[in-house]
Amino acid sequence: MLMCRDLARIASDYIDDELGTAQKLSVKMHLMMCRYCRSFIGNLRASTALMQAHSSQKLDEEFLRRIEERVADSLNARNTGNRNPE
Amino acid sequence: METATHQSDEDILIQGLKSGSEADFQKAVRLYTPGMMAVASYYLDKASAEETVQDCWVTVIDAIQNFEGRSGLKTWLHRIVANRAKNHLRKHKREVSADFSEALDPELASRFRPNGRWATPPSLRFHEDAESLMENGALSDCLDQHLARLPETQRSALMLYEAHQHKSDDVCNLLDVSASNLRVLLHRARQKIFLMVETFQETGEC
Ligand SMILES: [Zn+2]
Repeated sequence: MLMCRDLARIASDYIDDELGTAQKLSVKMHLMMCRYCRSFIGNLRASTALMQAHSSQKLDEEFLRRIEERVADSLNARNTGNRNPE
Repeated sequence: METATHQSDEDILIQGLKSGSEADFQKAVRLYTPGMMAVASYYLDKASAEETVQDCWVTVIDAIQNFEGRSGLKTWLHRIVANRAKNHLRKHKREVSADFSEALDPELASRFRPNGRWATPPSLRFHEDAESLMENGALSDCLDQHLARLPETQRSALMLYEAHQHKSDDVCNLLDVSASNLRVLLHRARQKIFLMVETFQETGEC
């Protein structure tokens, strides 16, 4: 019999549909009977969705500008090089 | 189904990069650097990761000519970063230590009775969808703080899988972990995020 703690251990695999048929079934059975675990799975799913919505990870402007400058320099060097081969 | 004539935004961007357009490189740098940092940070400390990602962009200027588009641009860039980061690691002999211990986060584990039932059950339900939750700036900041506190290995796995929407196989290749180890990394990271959101919803504090 699957206990709440066991369910918490495999919750992530359940969400991603990585469980085998038998395990998936026992999770479903447990969820039918246990509102706490329903709540746990629901909230874990929501946290996961939150992460996805958060994909706009804060960018370090200073760092990005350094990359842009180096890329621009390299592009210029290449273009100049092409036009006036030494 | 003739879709070959329709160009995706990515195809247009790739053409721009191949033609050496500075504006398109700027666009690509802003779009893809966060994911590239997630890959590099898995292997390297912050300073080396930044250096590696910066060097990658310079190599991409020439390498993009040979990009055939068999994988997406994102996957291609992430692979370049992963290879460079691994090389860097080989030179500096720093071991990646991934935390593959117990499946339950200690804080979460303490919330069960010895018989395996909840002692402190999850009390909250989300009434809003994730997008509207993210409009709460304080929650978004809190998520940033907690992500920053995760071990690099867990954060990279979570970012690549969730935020950058890579498939499991992709993430395993980029991070050199087995499928089961990836499961553990994801699971551990998600529990931390779950606990953080729960605390935030209950107390309004991070
Ligand atoms: Zn339960």
